[in-house]
Amino acid sequence: MAVIAGRPARGALLPPQLRALTGTRSGALAIFVVRRILWMVPIVFFVIVITFTLMHLAPGSPWDKGGGRQLSDTVVNNLNIRYGLNKPVFTPWFDFSTGHFIPFRWDDQFKLYIWNVAHFDFGLSYQYQGKTVSTLLLESWPYTATIGVLAFLLIIPIGVGLGVVAALRQNTRIDYITMGFATIAASFPNFVIGALMVVAFSVLAYRATGGNFYLPAAGFAMDDSLIMPVVTLALLPIAYTARLTRASTLETIRQDFVRTAWAKGLPERLVVVRHVLKNSLIPVVTTLGPTFAFLVTGSVIVETVFAIPGIGRAFVVAIESRDYPMILGTTILFSLVVAIANLVVDVLYVFIDPRVRLT
Amino acid sequence: MHIGAWSRALTLATAGVFIAACGPGGTTTENLASPDKQILRANNGTEPNSFDPTQQTYTYERAVGIQTFDSLFRAKADGSDVEPVGATSYNVSPDGLTYTFHLRQNEKWSDGKPVVAGDWVYGWKHFLNPALAAGYVDPFFDQTIKGASGYGNVDVSSASAVDAYLNGLGLSAPDDHTFVVQLDHPAAYFKWVATLWMAVPLRKDIIEQAAGGAFASTDATKAEAWANNAATIVGNGPYKIKEIASKDHVTLVPNPNYWAPAPHLQQIIYYEIADGNTAYSQYQTGALDVIGVPLADVTVVRSDPKLSKEAILIPTLSQYWISMNTTRAPLDDKNVRMALAKSVDRDKLVNDIEHGNGKSLSTFIPKGMSGYDTSDNAQSFDPAAAKQLLATSGKKDALAKMKLLTRNTTASKTLNQFLADQWSTNLGVNIQLDVIDSKTVTRDIRKGQFDIYGLDGWIGDYPDQQDWFDIFVTGSCHNLNWGCLSDPSYDDLVTKADAESDKTKRASMYSQAQKKLIDNAVVAFMYQPYEYDLVKAYVKGLTVTTTDDQNLPGDGRYNTAFITQHT
Repeated sequence: MAVIAGRPARGALLPPQLRALTGTRSGALAIFVVRRILWMVPIVFFVIVITFTLMHLAPGSPWDKGGGRQLSDTVVNNLNIRYGLNKPVFTPWFDFSTGHFIPFRWDDQFKLYIWNVAHFDFGLSYQYQGKTVSTLLLESWPYTATIGVLAFLLIIPIGVGLGVVAALRQNTRIDYITMGFATIAASFPNFVIGALMVVAFSVLAYRATGGNFYLPAAGFAMDDSLIMPVVTLALLPIAYTARLTRASTLETIRQDFVRTAWAKGLPERLVVVRHVLKNSLIPVVTTLGPTFAFLVTGSVIVETVFAIPGIGRAFVVAIESRDYPMILGTTILFSLVVAIANLVVDVLYVFIDPRVRLT
Repeated sequence: MHIGAWSRALTLATAGVFIAACGPGGTTTENLASPDKQILRANNGTEPNSFDPTQQTYTYERAVGIQTFDSLFRAKADGSDVEPVGATSYNVSPDGLTYTFHLRQNEKWSDGKPVVAGDWVYGWKHFLNPALAAGYVDPFFDQTIKGASGYGNVDVSSASAVDAYLNGLGLSAPDDHTFVVQLDHPAAYFKWVATLWMAVPLRKDIIEQAAGGAFASTDATKAEAWANNAATIVGNGPYKIKEIASKDHVTLVPNPNYWAPAPHLQQIIYYEIADGNTAYSQYQTGALDVIGVPLADVTVVRSDPKLSKEAILIPTLSQYWISMNTTRAPLDDKNVRMALAKSVDRDKLVNDIEHGNGKSLSTFIPKGMSGYDTSDNAQSFDPAAAKQLLATSGKKDALAKMKLLTRNTTASKTLNQFLADQWSTNLGVNIQLDVIDSKTVTRDIRKGQFDIYGLDGWIGDYPDQQDWFDIFVTGSCHNLNWGCLSDPSYDDLVTKADAESDKTKRASMYSQAQKKLIDNAVVAFMYQPYEYDLVKAYVKGLTVTTTDDQNLPGDGRYNTAFITQHT
């Protein structure tokens, strides 16, 4: 995190034309954003290196079936050629047995992959014949992102709201009920909540009302089928955010400047919104970045329970079937989402907290 | 338990069971719902990995393949023989080496063009193209068709090598309505191979158009471009694809140019719901008409007054067993293997673990196809005899060091824990479970690195015994013969039976081969799994046959099915 206060010699390494920019607040922000975006290139590269290595270390080949009869060796061999798996994964630079450098070769699997990614070609999926990874990601991500964004929109008002109310009414019944709910929501696993909701709001509701009122147990459309998956996905982050907001608000309430605000006779609304909330939200915003990234990269459980054709399940299926290009493509997408979410959070600090300076 | 998931095809029941279960059968269509209500919604579980039938290997792929493309033949409803679909008749030359298929005269593609013999040659060559590496070529086609045996040795990076191989295949079209296949050696079962869903005609013009022009035979990506777009999936089957909603559903509508009378069902929607419990909820809220019952809900369905009436139990043409590594001591001793086989209470297994959805069976060929014969009781449950065998061998301590290789799935763990308990109780031997990730299990059994592995099994591709006995032929270790049985007298019997055209002689040789498998305890045969499905009462006329796909009863003959009026 590049949030450092009061460091000297900012922009010393920049060309003179840009150095002038660092003097202004918005200029510094622009340089910060550009630099962070450029940093994503090495980040993605290392994500690829790690994923590539782990992926090939995992036992089994993409062509091994989960049971029953297996493909014959001749077919496996032809498949390896078809997808370039007959080439070496990495080629070493040095041969320790002979003490000589090995002539550089471009056509190992790793270098070919990097070369293709540099051209925005993420390859063909092994599971789905003739489909590119980009197509598969573009097919499944919108579903996941929609549900994730909707869940995120629930978290801010509900999670933050509950946390502030509980803090302001500390040790009252409201506080206990709110925190009790948060504890329960945080401790029940997704699949239990999801399954219980399906039984209650789909199956039992359908029976009780003769099919007049119930929520669909599966499928994706911009209608009531979204309610249960969004709620299931949002519950845990809501609980987490509420507890964090409460703790942070309680800390702020006891600060001197809040006492001053009360003492000078400000109305409660002003004290809470202008003095308490603005300060107590800083740690909450820090977690909202990763939470957003977590939500829009999908939950395999929510997507399985509610049969949503999203990216979370596609990723798990890709890992299970050793669909290497799909695993890499999804990991790259996820790492970019996380990097961008963190960048947005860092930029938001500037607006929430005037003390923060960007370098 | 879905162990033999690869070629999960065949289900079988006598017609009587189904007439009772599914209403009046395919002839009466009283109370027919209006055409806009003739929609069948079923759960196919998973999206097909390819819509090109030649590339399909899994049952959820075949389910779409058989609706959109017709092979030369299909199995008769009772599984006793083949019946014509794409071809109307065929002749075999006296030497058994040349099959001449007379194609249906008025057959058309879903875009209205006539199907000609050249399309069959093109389709089969597309399938047999080594650069495309289709899963079912070996062993069904490369080991039967003339000139195909070099399949594994073609340089798939060289277009000229691939073309030379394809042009050397014994496939020809002397005229528009005659498709000739020459074989390498007599194969009495070849008519069954011609029923397989990947042996279909394809349209050269459409495939090349989708690829953006003619392409090299080594270019797998271009060769498959057509199969990802509903508009270019032009087939000769009873239905055509209207919509592919990736990983959600596939919608099929009748092929207006199909040769048979128009079906009642105007839409078939195959949903791709992976979680059986979700599908079960969807069924209960009226969003699905046909589902497989998840194992956990079997008892609930059985005791529910409404659901139990909609449930059908379908014997599948499959058999599960335990593989033992015959190359490792003490499992190289027949008596030790037999002791393991005789000490498992299969009735208890079927009742306790499968909730009654199966039939205990200590022989090889399942009930419902020729070759089913339970008279050999060498492997039947008999704990006293099992203990006796083990005591005689004197290898009890060595056996206790063996491990049972188990896939890391709930189903596998539950089942294998049951087996270990049985061996502990009935044989006094504690065999440990070795639970590991599924991919690693597959890697290990392919290399023969295991002691005992189970449950394993086979689901027939077609109701002919050749499909079963070829499993245990020498040199087929990679397929399913994990214990790597190599018995020349067994090989000899099976090879002769495969080629024999006389039904009686053939059956007798297979019968001897089955006795060898059972008596040598190469594997310990366990049970024939049954399928438990729910079908809404308003779905009538399903013809459930031996070749239906998993959880899709009657999918081989949807032309008889219809929806009745309901609220």
